[in-house]
Amino acid sequence: MRESPSVWAFPTILTLHTTGMGILVGASWLLDLRLLGVGRSTPLSAYRWVFPAITVGLIINLVTGVFLFIKNATTWGTAAPFGVKMLLVVTSVVLLLPIRKYVRGEASEVGGNTRLLAIASILAWAAAVTAGRLLAYLVV
Amino acid sequence: MNLAHLHLVMNHVPTIGSVAALGVLLLGYVRRNDHLKHVGLEVLFIVALLTLPVYVSGVAGYFEIKNRPDVSVDAVKIHQDVALFGFGWMMMAGFVAWIALWQWRRHGRPGRGLVPAATLLLVMTLVVMGRAANLGGEIRHPEILTGGAAAAPAGDPDRFVTSAITEVAVYSHWAWPAAETVHFLGLSLSLGVLLAINLRLLGFMSEVPFAQVHRLLPWGMLGFGANLITGMFFFVGQPGQYTSSNPFYWKILFLVIAGANFLYLTVFGKAWKEGESARFDPNIADKAMAILSLTAWLGVLYAGRMLPFLGKSF
Repeated sequence: MRESPSVWAFPTILTLHTTGMGILVGASWLLDLRLLGVGRSTPLSAYRWVFPAITVGLIINLVTGVFLFIKNATTWGTAAPFGVKMLLVVTSVVLLLPIRKYVRGEASEVGGNTRLLAIASILAWAAAVTAGRLLAYLVV
Repeated sequence: MNLAHLHLVMNHVPTIGSVAALGVLLLGYVRRNDHLKHVGLEVLFIVALLTLPVYVSGVAGYFEIKNRPDVSVDAVKIHQDVALFGFGWMMMAGFVAWIALWQWRRHGRPGRGLVPAATLLLVMTLVVMGRAANLGGEIRHPEILTGGAAAAPAGDPDRFVTSAITEVAVYSHWAWPAAETVHFLGLSLSLGVLLAINLRLLGFMSEVPFAQVHRLLPWGMLGFGANLITGMFFFVGQPGQYTSSNPFYWKILFLVIAGANFLYLTVFGKAWKEGESARFDPNIADKAMAILSLTAWLGVLYAGRMLPFLGKSF
């Protein structure tokens, strides 16, 4: 990719990664906000579209993320900020699992407190985006 | 046509557009006609949107003419400073106008005080923009200076607001990365909301009532606002790297389209007439706008991410 004669290859991967991020984080946040009571009159079932959207975003970012990592493997592989970012992404995705069960009606209660989980999800995604953005400044 | 030319073509939009919007709003008050007030808010929002290309093309114009011996750099910088303040007032007026339009859509009338607030902000905008326009005229039109060219405004270069912002952008270690982070968080919010609404218009997730997706729009506007502020910080902080970059102008064009789509989603469509729970069947115009909006948002993203590669910016 870096050796691609095209000036477009790398930015295109980067754009796709950003788009995937927007879909993934945006959709998660909207659901989290609803769990926090925003637009309470909307039934939770109206939010089921969020999960296919998240899946699409995750797949896009997994694929493009691998490309981006290959380009920077020698520096990112050992860089702490990159490890932190991966940890935050995994945390954010794991937090979605009990939320998904709850929204699908498979569990009447989210393990623990629904609101707490929603807040944790919002913060985890925000931290993941922050870590990803700071990678550009902390790890050259 | 270069960008300085574009600025000359568009530079009357903020002042004359404000006068037009204010005229319609005041007429609405005089005649006690809500429909006229609604139109006034719509005109205000469009003028606010068009102020963005006016501002950025003005800065590009500065880079075109700053080395000419007959141009006073200080005169341009004073104009630029006042224009930035005018831009800020305009954005506040446009934002309040949008909130009023949104509540009009959802509740049938805007919250108390919102339309007067938008009107007052617009008056303030007009005052500051009028001053900016006058100072802009003085850059190249010595005939309007009563005291002759010698009376051209002089400013202390150390006290320009735009220069102070540049200083923060260049010398602060955290300001730029922090603003970039907020920019990406805002992007996620906006993209998430607009993607959901537009995909719903195109027929996806049709089991969800349109109104329940559409009501998320203010969150998209919140992201848009956060990105306008952080984006302006980048632009004012490092204008040279953007004015010399082609993708930047594509990004501005796509942004204006995306902004117009906000207005379309706010004032058009029959979702609310059919009630909260009703199914909403988008017509061809709705679907065309949805495709245009998605294209514009992807364009904003792509052009934004291309900035460091085709231009010099980071």
